[in-house]
Amino acid sequence: MRDRTFAPSRILIYLIVSLIAAAWLAPLAVVVLNSLRTNQEIAQGSMIGWPQHLAWSNYAAAWSGFCVAETCAGIRPYMLNSALVTIPATIFSTLLGAVAGYAVSLWRFRGDQWIYGIVTLGIFLPQQMRLLPWTIVLRDTGLMNTLTGLVIIHTIQGLSFTVLFCRNYYVAIPQELIRAARIDGAGFFRIFWRIILPLSPPILVVTVIWQFTHIWNEFLYGVTFTTGQQQPVTAALIALSAAVADIPQHGVQSAAVMIAALPTLLIYLIGGKYFVRGLTAGAVK
Amino acid sequence: MPISITRRHLLAGSAAALAMPAFARAQGAVKPRLTAISQWSAGSDGAAITALGKKFEEKGGIWQHSPVPGFTTEMMNKLRAQIIAGDPPACSQLKGPEIAAWSKIAPTVDLDAVVAAAGYEKVVAPDLAKLHKPGGKWIALPLQIYSTNMLFLSKRAMDKAKADKIPVTWADFNDLAEKMKSGGVTYPIANGGTRPDDGQKFEASLAGISPAAYRAAIMNLDKKALEGPEIKAAFAQVRKIADWMDPNVGAQHFSTNLKRFVDGDMGMMIMGGWAQGVLRNAGFKFDDFIIAPGPSDNGKPVFLLNADAFIFWQRKEPDLQAGQTLMAQLVMDPAIQTMYSQITGSIPVRTDVDLSGDGWSEGQRRTAAALKDAIASNQAVLSVAHNMAQENGMTAAMIDVITEYVKNKTIKPEQAVTRLAEAVEGAR
Repeated sequence: MRDRTFAPSRILIYLIVSLIAAAWLAPLAVVVLNSLRTNQEIAQGSMIGWPQHLAWSNYAAAWSGFCVAETCAGIRPYMLNSALVTIPATIFSTLLGAVAGYAVSLWRFRGDQWIYGIVTLGIFLPQQMRLLPWTIVLRDTGLMNTLTGLVIIHTIQGLSFTVLFCRNYYVAIPQELIRAARIDGAGFFRIFWRIILPLSPPILVVTVIWQFTHIWNEFLYGVTFTTGQQQPVTAALIALSAAVADIPQHGVQSAAVMIAALPTLLIYLIGGKYFVRGLTAGAVK
Repeated sequence: MPISITRRHLLAGSAAALAMPAFARAQGAVKPRLTAISQWSAGSDGAAITALGKKFEEKGGIWQHSPVPGFTTEMMNKLRAQIIAGDPPACSQLKGPEIAAWSKIAPTVDLDAVVAAAGYEKVVAPDLAKLHKPGGKWIALPLQIYSTNMLFLSKRAMDKAKADKIPVTWADFNDLAEKMKSGGVTYPIANGGTRPDDGQKFEASLAGISPAAYRAAIMNLDKKALEGPEIKAAFAQVRKIADWMDPNVGAQHFSTNLKRFVDGDMGMMIMGGWAQGVLRNAGFKFDDFIIAPGPSDNGKPVFLLNADAFIFWQRKEPDLQAGQTLMAQLVMDPAIQTMYSQITGSIPVRTDVDLSGDGWSEGQRRTAAALKDAIASNQAVLSVAHNMAQENGMTAAMIDVITEYVKNKTIKPEQAVTRLAEAVEGAR
């Protein structure tokens, strides 16, 4: 690790990696810079440039000022909506996925592979195709235009991924462990709580990050099944950017994007190192 | 038959007599309420519909507007979901031939009586009126109009070209572009790179060459017209325009290059009337540019119509029905149309609104005058680039061909004609 010699090959590697990183980060840099420039500054100059003076007002406007139609409360209420949908849906879908993944991997029963296959099939169904069935479900349950409806949708749809993740992780757990516990008289749920769950943190981190990011960034269901004050933050962001016949509000948009990206960014920073570890766990036996 | 009055009859009769005034009172006292969905959530669009809502409330109504952020697809998803859930909004934004298509999905309100009471039909462009009464009855109301083929001229580029005449025909236009080029204007045509942007260059070219061919080929999809010489001439004109554009502009919003346009680095822009508001909000002045109707080879203005509208969905609730009537009256009201257009920079649908007063820009006056002249000479046609001439699927098929042609200069005009005709055939 303390190899300090700079062999040409090493310099080349650093150079390439830095270039890739720069290309990858350039859009972020543009967003950060534009979040500190006024609209006129951007319109009268170029999309890419240093702020002439720091326009922090963009952040204030993004947080609590800009209007989505009649409501001028900025991004704040929509952030709350997103949190109210994302947090429960992430927790429910992760827990249900863990139980289901455990059931189909360690409790062999008739048709278990079929159930697993059908559940994970959901991954391949395009969102648009599921829109009408969900409409009917929400209509019949009376949950149209509610955050509860969104929580249910995201919990159920999330199962496709969470079951896949957890099942693939749990198949690596030796069957003997389960058999021994059963001989000791432990049932399905006792084994889950006492043996499986303590072994699960790496894969749970993966599913939490995955679900959180997906649900937080989801737009289609959010905009279709909620109205006005109930909408998630993605809808507010699009509202800011979709004014066709108007000059795009680049400054406020950029600031709003930065704020809206914070929760997912935090989740990654906290759980990131477990993410790759969890994903690759069980990949190589 | 002897008339016998039983006690029961008497009771029923008096009950009815007692109930009558109460019923009438309930009808009169019902507070008009309107549930509306639109995609106007931000900027001047959001401000305009908010102002409309205020007027609705001033008239004693309850205004419940749900903006659907995003573009047409998102709004249609929402609309479909609400219709399937049995809860359509009392009215929703919808435009062009989609009005006819969607009116087959759920029952709409017959607005004929309200429209007749307002004397509205006489003051609306005939092609536009047709769109809003697909089955012969008015079911939707246009709200504001933009022309998609306005010509914006950069004052500084005009100076560089030592030109002061506004081009009228495509020949004038091409001359001016050449002069700009030799005068040092890097790109005589300012461009964005979005699909509607490319589409506008084609529709402006064809309609400017022959509005009759445009109506036959693009609006009526006449096979012979689609393969006719005017289409080839239009593609040839589009190629000239494309050669004067900056090829390094990707799929960008036209506003990205406004500074280059005002600076005289780019010379002319073919864009909708809304670009005035965008220029103003970007901090540029009216002295920086000139606005005129797009080129027309017969000298009379050609107007490519883009109109936003509301469609009204059937509801049983008396308060929603009252709200629909009130909304329809407001949308057709000259004062409301004035207020709305002054906020967004469009022009009123009514051709009898006077635009001479304060609050109107020179560009809006010119646009309104162009519309009047174009209607008089039957040269007001529907924009294909902005989903007015065809349903979405057909529009997409056409724009695919056009946008590829603009960007791929190896395609020859005659090839483009064949491709366009084939795309139309395939999308039918």
